[in-house]
Amino acid sequence: MSTNEQVHSISTRLSLNLDGTDRTADVDPRSLLVEALRDDFGVTAPKIGCATGDCGACTSRVDGQITKTCLRLAVSAEGSQIVTTQGLAEDGQLDVVQQAFWDEQAFQCGFCLSGMIFAASELLAENPDPSDQDIRWAISGNLCRCTGYEAIVAAVRTAAVRQREIPQRG
Amino acid sequence: MITHPFVYRAPTSVAEAIEILAETPGISRVIGGGTWVVPECNRDESRPGVLVDLRRAGLGGIDVVGDVVCVGATATYSALMSSPDVARHLPLLAAMASGITGGRQIQSQGTVGGSVVAARPSSDAPAAVAALDATLVIAGPDGERRVTGTGMFPDASTSCLREGEILTRLEFAVRPAARWGYYKLKRSASSWPIATAACVLGEQPHLVLGGVSATPVHVDLGPVLARRPLTPDTIEETVRRAADSVSTPWEDELAPATYRAAVAGPVARRALEMAAHQEES
Ligand SMILES: Cc1cc2nc3c(=O)[nH]c(=O)nc-3n(C[C@@H](O)[C@@H](O)[C@H](O)COP(=O)(O)OP(=O)(O)OC[C@H]3O[C@@H](n4cnc5c(N)ncnc54)[C@H](O)[C@@H]3O)c2cc1C
Ligand code: FES
Ligand code: FES
Repeated sequence: MSTNEQVHSISTRLSLNLDGTDRTADVDPRSLLVEALRDDFGVTAPKIGCATGDCGACTSRVDGQITKTCLRLAVSAEGSQIVTTQGLAEDGQLDVVQQAFWDEQAFQCGFCLSGMIFAASELLAENPDPSDQDIRWAISGNLCRCTGYEAIVAAVRTAAVRQREIPQRG
Repeated sequence: MITHPFVYRAPTSVAEAIEILAETPGISRVIGGGTWVVPECNRDESRPGVLVDLRRAGLGGIDVVGDVVCVGATATYSALMSSPDVARHLPLLAAMASGITGGRQIQSQGTVGGSVVAARPSSDAPAAVAALDATLVIAGPDGERRVTGTGMFPDASTSCLREGEILTRLEFAVRPAARWGYYKLKRSASSWPIATAACVLGEQPHLVLGGVSATPVHVDLGPVLARRPLTPDTIEETVRRAADSVSTPWEDELAPATYRAAVAGPVARRALEMAAHQEES
C-alpha cells in the first residue's frame, strides 16, 4: 500500500492554510472537515447543524469554493486553503456582506451566519444587482431558525447596493 | 465523527483507483463529490473499510472530442452550468444542474457521475442523461466498457457498475441544435424532485420521465413526434403516452404511488411546452 493512506487509530497530521495562516494539527482521520476545524484548529465559526448537507451552518470557502464542510472528510483537505467567516474581516473591518448583515440585524443566534454570508458573497461576485428572487434562490441551501429570512434578504440587497457604490471594497 | 475505521485513499489516476479497488474487494467505496457517501458513513449506514476518493483522479473535465461531448464523471453541477460546451451542445444538462437544490455548495461538490451511480429514483440526473442518449464509459480490471439506454439504470438505487469498476465519463453525441425541455416537480424550492420530465426533440426524439418509477421511464413516442412540429394535438397525444407508460409508479416519503402516476402526464406536458416555446422563439 502506498503512502497516501491514513489508518483510523493513529491520529494524522493535517496541514491547511486557514484564514490566511499556515497551520498544522493532529486530527482523527475519521473526522469531518468541520469537526477538525472546530475541535483541532479551534476555529468555531463554522457550526454543525445537521451533518447531512442540508443546513449550511458549516459553510467555509475551501480552495475558492464555498463548501459545506460536513460533507468533506478532513483528510481530503490536506494542503487546502480554507477561509471561514472568521477570516473575512480585514484590519478589524467587517467585509461589505458582514457589515450589511450587522446593519440590517439579519441574524439572531448566528448559527446560520457562515452559510448565509458565504452564499451571499458568492451571489454578489457573480451578480452585482440581484433581484429578491435571485437572493432567495442563492441562500436556499441554508436554513435559518431565527429570522424568518426577510432581514437576510434585506441585508443581501443592502450589501449589493453598497458593493456597487464602492466596488473596490467588494 | 465517523465511528467506523477506514483507510482513505486519493488515487491520482484511473489505473491507480482500479488497482486499489482490486486490492480491497467488497470493502471499498468510491467517493465522487461525497455529498451522499460522507453523510451515509457519518450516519453509520455504510461502513466501508477503504474510501477511494476520486478528487485527484483527473475525471472532472468537460471536453468536445470530434463529435462527442465528454463529461468527466466527477464534473460537478457547477461545472456543467459554467461550461460553454455544455451550454452549446447540452443545454438540457445545464438546466438540470441549475435546478439542483442545497445551494451553490451542493452544486459545486455533487457530481453528475455520483448521481448516475447512486441511481436514486428521486433525483435529477438519471432521466436527463437518458433523454440525451448518454453513453456511460466504465473502467474496471478488464479494461473499459460502455453502457447505453435502459442498461444504464437496472433498478432503483442500483447502478450498472460491477464490483471493482468506476464510472470515468459520460459521452454525448453532438447533434444538430434540437429543442429541449426540462421540468422538475418538487414540494418546495429546496426539496428533491418528486417527478421530472426531460425531452429532446429533433431527428431522434426522446422523452424520459424521472422519479415516477424505480428507473427512468422512456416514453415510446412512436411516430408522433418524429420530424413533426409540436402542436396542441401532438402534445396531447404525447402526454397520453407518457401517462400510460408509468406501469409501476414509485413510492417514497416524498409522494405515494397514486400521486406519482397522476403527475406523470402533467410533468411531461410542461417539459413539452417548454420545448414548444423554444420553437416559437
Ligand atoms: C442538501 C442536498 C440537496 C440535494 N439536492 C438534490 C437535488 O435537487 N437533486 C438531486 O438529484 N440530488 C440532490 N442531492 C443529492 C446529491 O448528493 C447528488 O445529486 C450528487 O450528485 C451525488 O454526487 P456525489 O458526487 O456527491 O456522490 P457521492 O456521494 O460521491 O457518491 C454517490 C454514490 O456513487 C458512487 N460513486 C460516485 N462517483 C462514482 C464514480 N465515478 N464511479 C463509481 N462510483 C461512484 C459512490 O460510491 C456512492 O455510492 C442533494 C444532496 C444534498 C446533501
Ligand atoms: S452541518 Fe453541514 S450542512 Fe448542516
Ligand atoms: S440567526 Fe439563528 S439560525 Fe439564523
